[in-house]
Amino acid sequence: MKTKSFIPFLMIISLLGIIACSGGGRKGEPITLEWWQFWTDPAIKPTIEKIAADYETHNPGVKIRLTDLTWGNGHEKIVIAFSSGTAPDIVELGSDWILEFSSSGQLAPISKDIIADTAKFYGWPPAIYNNDIYAFPWILGTRVLYINRGLLKKTNLDSNFVPVNWEQLKKLCYKIDSLGGGIYGFGSNAAEKHTLYKKFLPFFWSNNARIVSEDGKYSVISSDKGFAALKYYKELSDSCGMVDTQRRLEDAFLAGKVGVIISGDWLLKRIRNEKIDIDFITGLIPGPEYPGKSFVGGEYLAISNKSQNKIEALKFIKYLTDRENELLFCKTNYSANPANEEATKDSFFADDPALQTFIMQLNLSRFPPADPQWVYIEDIIETMLEDVLFNGQPVAESLYKARNKIQKLIDEKRK
Amino acid sequence: MRVRQTAGVLLASPWILTFLAFWLFPLIYSLFLGLTDYRLLQPTYSWVGFQNFINLFSDTIFLNSLKNTFIFVFGAIPVTTIISLIMALLLDKSFRGRTLFRSGFFMPSITSMVVIALIFTNLYSRGGYIFLLAQMAGFSPPGNGFLLSNKTALLSIMAMDVWMSVGYYMLLFLAGLKSIPIELYEAADVAGAGRWRKFYSITLPLLKPVTLFIIVINTIKSFQVFIEIFVMTQGKYNSSSAVYFIYELGLNRFEFGYASAAAYLLFMIIAIFSFIQFKLMKQG
Repeated sequence: MKTKSFIPFLMIISLLGIIACSGGGRKGEPITLEWWQFWTDPAIKPTIEKIAADYETHNPGVKIRLTDLTWGNGHEKIVIAFSSGTAPDIVELGSDWILEFSSSGQLAPISKDIIADTAKFYGWPPAIYNNDIYAFPWILGTRVLYINRGLLKKTNLDSNFVPVNWEQLKKLCYKIDSLGGGIYGFGSNAAEKHTLYKKFLPFFWSNNARIVSEDGKYSVISSDKGFAALKYYKELSDSCGMVDTQRRLEDAFLAGKVGVIISGDWLLKRIRNEKIDIDFITGLIPGPEYPGKSFVGGEYLAISNKSQNKIEALKFIKYLTDRENELLFCKTNYSANPANEEATKDSFFADDPALQTFIMQLNLSRFPPADPQWVYIEDIIETMLEDVLFNGQPVAESLYKARNKIQKLIDEKRK
Repeated sequence: MRVRQTAGVLLASPWILTFLAFWLFPLIYSLFLGLTDYRLLQPTYSWVGFQNFINLFSDTIFLNSLKNTFIFVFGAIPVTTIISLIMALLLDKSFRGRTLFRSGFFMPSITSMVVIALIFTNLYSRGGYIFLLAQMAGFSPPGNGFLLSNKTALLSIMAMDVWMSVGYYMLLFLAGLKSIPIELYEAADVAGAGRWRKFYSITLPLLKPVTLFIIVINTIKSFQVFIEIFVMTQGKYNSSSAVYFIYELGLNRFEFGYASAAAYLLFMIIAIFSFIQFKLMKQG
């Protein structure tokens, strides 16, 4: 009896619940766009919030709900959100993550809605899968040479000397290294995950070597050009390199213990924010043909395939990446490399030689191949580099082993 | 009687539900996943039977990680056990400052593993104190430091692990020593037994249960070695362990099916070793 009288009560409660929950999305009510992003640094977060608030002001029907992610576990959270169907409308993705989500059907294709914008932005290659675009480039990041001018002045080279080819780079590093007293010529990265290959590929690409043939059918990493690049990098690392993690190499560079390192624009920000007293110059990556090519990665904005607000989400993405907002972001963050080409022409970059180096290098940078198997190829390249640099394995043999492993992956994929 | 039973079940239900939802279900579900090709972002998955397990036996990366794990287990455990026993015997004697030594040796066991791993990363690096000490002692350490070489990375991590663990096991041995009746030593003295004779005939046999207990828990712990490797080498330089392999596969590449199979294989290895050791313990 008691149970029977309880049922109508439960039904009423459920009905009320349904009515309460079904309110969102009605005509005239604001749309809430969920946006997951990684910029949590107190220096830049207020700018992100301001851009979102400005958008809300200009678009009264839209609310932006920000969620912060960290680089420590952000990727895991995004993967879990997509696989459980709870992904936000807009998500910030690293350039090397886009493919795993686009190839598994988690991202909305946006090609037809942004076709007019493609010429105005850098950095499309990682966003493309099966001839469709799945993410919008926002902030890019390339690497350039940093030269400690305090150490450079102690050699007999000109105090503005910037190497333009491999011989000059070697000469510069040797001269600094020969100063002695625990000073190294070149900062050579230890085998940190996702780091070492980024430092080697600029040499590899600058020598016009390729990992995979243009038609994607063959592994060509062990070409003569690839061999020459790896041999050169090993010589540089062995003869005058301080081998350590990226962070510790940067510490050593800032402390005047390393003459030349390859790093990104985050180091410029660090020098400025920590008010580090250092005399340095930046230079483009040297190579057999100057300027050489560098590695580039970046931050992209993508829309979940399950989003109910795709049109509004894309509108917001376009707002975030317009010239003014990209500039506002770069000025606050003191970083170069906005994806918006128009923004790169601003005097903010032109007036700052260090930032200008990054802008120039950006045009000469490459992304890793957009291949769902890249994560495995990256692993193979890193293992090859470790074998050669730290375990005394012969260059040619290691390259050949890597070639075979990559070819096996290609063959498996083609099957 | 029935009311009491219901009350008992109700009172235990929070634990039972937690156990079912967060222990038993994941345990069974991961076994099921191990028999599929499930990847987190893949919309569908299919039943592959024991194929994942078969693949593991021809996966050179997994086999190498497993080999490293065995090196870790069979290398670190005897050294840890012997050193902690020697330390316990030395600190069982009464002398000034004994408590200070005991506390000092135990200290690493209560310090965060991550902190210790970070400190040792510095000590092992080129120019670090251990690196310089090795040079001063006439050895030629690897050019880029102990952790950046295939030959020394795993050994260096093992050495740190021994240093970190001996204090805890020393304490267990000390407790074992305290439980040995003094009368046995007095009787041996009357019989004219020497120091070594007393050690072999009284101390060692009576410490057998403690020793086996230490070996069992150290075996399980060593098979699960992960944090040190994660912090110090990220599995590079031939230092990856079975658990690091599972982590890399499951949480970086999200290949849950294959990672679950590897986890179950490791579970079976640990279970077999623990079973053998418990059998030995019972015999003891």
